[in-house]
Amino acid sequence: MDRRTFLKLAGMGSVAFAAGCNAHPEKHLYTLVRAPEDMVTGEATWYASTCRECPAGCGVLAKNREGRVVKLEGNPLHPVNQGKLCARGHAALQGLYHPDRIHAPLLKEKEAWRKISFDQALTIVQQKAHAAAASGPDRVAMLSEVTGRHLLDLFVSVLAGHRSTGPLIFEPFAYESLKFAHGQLFGRAELPGYHLDQADLIVGFGADFLETWLSPVEYSRKFKMMHAWDNGTKGFFAHVSAYQSLTAANADQWIMCRPGSEALVAMALIAQLLDDGVGRDLPGPFRVALMEASAGYRPAELAEKTGVAADTLRILAQRLQSARRPLVLPTAAASCGTASAAADLAVLMLHAILDPDFGLLDFDQRHRVEIAAPRAQINAFWQRLADRPVDLLLLNRVNPLYALPADLPVQKVLDDARCFTVAFASIMDETAAAADLIIPVQHPLESWDAYESKQAMTATLQPTLGRISPAPNIGDLFLNLLPDDRRPVGDYRHYLTERIARENDIDSPDQWLQLVQNGGRFVAGRSASKPVPRLEAAPVRTLAEVLDRLALPAKDKMVLQVASSLRFYDGRHADRPWLPEIPDPVSQVAWQTLAMVNSQVMAARGWQDGQEIQLATAHGKVVLQAYGHAGVHPELVVVPAGQGHTHMGRYAQGQGVNPVAVLGGQTDAQSGAPDYAAVIDRMDTAGGHAALAILSGSRIQYDRKIALSVPLEKASDRDRLEGLTMNDFPLTLPLPEGYDHSRDIYPPHDHDGYRWGMTVDLDRCIGCSACVAACYAENNLGIVGEARIIEGREMAWMRIERYQDPEDPTRMIFLPMMCQHCDNAPCESVCPVYAPHHSKEGLNNQIYNRCIGTRFCAQNCPYKVRRFNWFDWEWPEPLNLQLNPDVTVRSKGVMEKCSFCIQRIKAAHHQAKNESRDIRDGEVVPACVQSCPTDALIFGNLMDPNSAVRKKIEDPRAYQVMGYLNTKPAVIYLKKVVQKL
Amino acid sequence: MEILITAISLLGLLTVAILIGTKGHPTRFFTAFGESIRLIWINRGPLFWVAACVVLVLGFLFFYYASPATRVGAAQPIPFSHRLHAGHKAIDCRFCHSYVARSHHPGLPAVEKCLFCHNYIIANHPEIRKEHDYFNTNTPTPWIKVFYLPEHVLFNHQRHILKDIACEACHGEVREMDRLKGERFKMGFCIECHREKKANLDCWLACHS
Repeated sequence: MDRRTFLKLAGMGSVAFAAGCNAHPEKHLYTLVRAPEDMVTGEATWYASTCRECPAGCGVLAKNREGRVVKLEGNPLHPVNQGKLCARGHAALQGLYHPDRIHAPLLKEKEAWRKISFDQALTIVQQKAHAAAASGPDRVAMLSEVTGRHLLDLFVSVLAGHRSTGPLIFEPFAYESLKFAHGQLFGRAELPGYHLDQADLIVGFGADFLETWLSPVEYSRKFKMMHAWDNGTKGFFAHVSAYQSLTAANADQWIMCRPGSEALVAMALIAQLLDDGVGRDLPGPFRVALMEASAGYRPAELAEKTGVAADTLRILAQRLQSARRPLVLPTAAASCGTASAAADLAVLMLHAILDPDFGLLDFDQRHRVEIAAPRAQINAFWQRLADRPVDLLLLNRVNPLYALPADLPVQKVLDDARCFTVAFASIMDETAAAADLIIPVQHPLESWDAYESKQAMTATLQPTLGRISPAPNIGDLFLNLLPDDRRPVGDYRHYLTERIARENDIDSPDQWLQLVQNGGRFVAGRSASKPVPRLEAAPVRTLAEVLDRLALPAKDKMVLQVASSLRFYDGRHADRPWLPEIPDPVSQVAWQTLAMVNSQVMAARGWQDGQEIQLATAHGKVVLQAYGHAGVHPELVVVPAGQGHTHMGRYAQGQGVNPVAVLGGQTDAQSGAPDYAAVIDRMDTAGGHAALAILSGSRIQYDRKIALSVPLEKASDRDRLEGLTMNDFPLTLPLPEGYDHSRDIYPPHDHDGYRWGMTVDLDRCIGCSACVAACYAENNLGIVGEARIIEGREMAWMRIERYQDPEDPTRMIFLPMMCQHCDNAPCESVCPVYAPHHSKEGLNNQIYNRCIGTRFCAQNCPYKVRRFNWFDWEWPEPLNLQLNPDVTVRSKGVMEKCSFCIQRIKAAHHQAKNESRDIRDGEVVPACVQSCPTDALIFGNLMDPNSAVRKKIEDPRAYQVMGYLNTKPAVIYLKKVVQKL
Repeated sequence: MEILITAISLLGLLTVAILIGTKGHPTRFFTAFGESIRLIWINRGPLFWVAACVVLVLGFLFFYYASPATRVGAAQPIPFSHRLHAGHKAIDCRFCHSYVARSHHPGLPAVEKCLFCHNYIIANHPEIRKEHDYFNTNTPTPWIKVFYLPEHVLFNHQRHILKDIACEACHGEVREMDRLKGERFKMGFCIECHREKKANLDCWLACHS
């Protein structure tokens, strides 16, 4: 290169560089046309509503900034979740702002979609419904998700107005076996609430109540009320199941049984307890019948069949006897046909022996999902439609084509030209794509509605933002389908208001306003309708019948078990990018669908994690990546449901595998429960080893003292550590008192009134990842996708680490890891431009506009919490409306990390300054802390001797992750308390 | 100002011409007037280029720094005058920027707010008709932004107003401006004042996040 070329290039380069640095700020400021009373720009307005992501129906508060919802938090007044929210609840926002949301009705014409107006769409439905009603009775059919009472009444009256019945409520996880068990013993097929908090011993038989079962946020909270270490007491939780779900991983003792043998284990416990003389007060005939029924199920005889050692069962039976208030929980949300029916009934019988009054069951606060029809009815519905097509089929926010096994005639019915199918859907999912007309409806966060999660309450939904979409409320659509003479005056909101006001004796607008502001009216009254258990011989006979029908799979066959997913539920949440991006806490794998196989089976076959395997059942085959996990029975392969969509928007389509496709549609004869398990005919390799999008570096800690546990007996022991080695390094607080001349080179920091810190109680953390989702929502974290995660470029500021106990790999510790805001921060000292900066309140600030991207800090951080922006991440419109305006969106080339939610600290500072006072303890609540269902995280001022966080670190269990590095982290962990059966 | 610049430029041109015409002895302009004119005429080519350059340079300087447009700021979709409203009519800043004491953002008046008055005052003025059109068609007014802050800075108006920092301290004499000139604030501007007033100088806790 000659001199001139060099100069030219240098000149061009610097011009291009300078031009590239130019910011392109917004040029306009737009004013509102009419200013709403409750909107102050720059300040949030909160609207109470109800989460409709799963049938649990938690209360939410929607944070509205400048007319758009940017964050959801739990409603503290709502009795179900009491201010907490799960990861799926947080991700509701991404359903609201999904870039592939349908905004106009689509009519299928010659296999292509044509946009029509909402009026046209309504006219079509009205005409079709009229024609159907004219041609005979039952010519209109409807399948709906679980809805609130008022909307359901409206559906019923619209269908009745068209000489039809329904709608049928479809939920893939409908708890048929549990309802069946209650139907047998109480005569009412109901789903009562469980007082987990009042028990001192819980024995679960598969119920994954920390993930999806009935009401996960509520039960997570209640579970830790009984199970968390609290001044020397801690409840005991044993879990009997064939694979280790997240719930089982949180058990003190996970008891592995053979697939489908939970019922036998429960029977063995019944036999043992009766032998030990428990239940003498039970009515004679019931007890005798139970003794006869359980005679063949003594623990010793069952060890072979269930794979559970007789001694374990005997000890478990003893613990059940010695417990003050034992509680036994039934099987998982994804049921296994007859096996679940037998197990749930046996568990209920076991419950009857232990507590004939069923004092820990709450029949007033029953779960709304009990209105869902059993799978047998759903199957019959599709069969009937296939044999005798109706004229009009209405589908309200259901996706049967995805969620039902392929041997049901769903596709056939939807393809049938004689049956006009209308899908009320917001996104083009499998079912909508097969429908004849798609009418988008409002997202629950945009609608007026009501949803009673439990019986004794009124819980309202209200629009939490302006209109993202012109879609109408489904209630308004159905009001227009009512015959003219029966149509009430006004819109659906009016209809709803009137009915709720009547039910709650509301006669003034003020009272109504208060009800809506609170998100409902929650009364804790007990009704007199508590059912009396029929402790007779008849239910026991049914149990014996079901047990007779129970056929355990042959021992030489592997079984495929499809599990409900913590992140995707049944698959309805797969299109929310946060959820696949957040890894499954047990496997630590994001975006991909795994086949969880027992580690020894993997080793025997010579497979590595990530090996592509093919599973063939009688109904089809799938190719998945295998993942070895000791918490899976050697005869079992577990695949979480929820991915492998063929439609459903850019984030779900073609991502992962749908295991339901290889299941059969058969249901249990008596309970009508579907079978989410299938016998695997062949399991062999299919191709090579594919990279896993895994976020965990290792399963074990190599004695690095990251996630620690302590046996129950030693949990209160305070051992003084005063050394300099890894094993005797003391807890060094990030305060002047943590300074020790023998260990420190630098003088202590001088903090100004506040030194923010956090405690993380590992004994309370269940690994549910709600905190991670809250962090994604609050801090505008980028979604990087599968390929980038494989490259190790994930952006999560907070993650749940899981470590296995080297001695017993089924014992796991979950550890939330975020920036530790060290006092001796290794990142601060290596930055050439001072971008990580130690603030006067102890926070480790990352100054984005200083950062030049050397990544030295990330290299030097022992906690691996710093994330580098290798790209500018995309928020396709209108997903960008979710971005928190108080948090800078970082751009390419900048390092970022947890800020302890500095925006919330600043907000508290402003509030305190306005009121001329100091910040109160508990006033600053970072997003993760706010969201945690089990209160594992506590945040506060370490310099305040009376703060909750300061009191918490007095606990003898307190330690710092890799504290021996003398980084003096401000995040203090409390050891998990472990106990054995 | 512009007259001054024009005058100086013309004077400069004249001086150059005279210096050329008198071969460096300007007093000769009066003693040998005819000769000077002749010489100027002979050098008319180079003189033309010199004049052209001077005019271009001064024109550039004028339009870049001294043109009236650079001092009044961007033309807004509606020629709203701060001088008239805040100065002459003495309407308090907070009447329109009503959230300034209770939020980060000062708030811009909604279209309807303008019409609260202008439904009665010069309601049929063509510019007010524009405002009516915005209101009737439900269109937000696309005001041109004049005060810029980098996106990674979150300025809290409430904090400053409650500390009795006058609006003019940052926004200038708005009461005397028809069209706001605006400002691209730099960090030094903030730091200077924060130092002076011993305010918070912490990166995140003060401004960034």
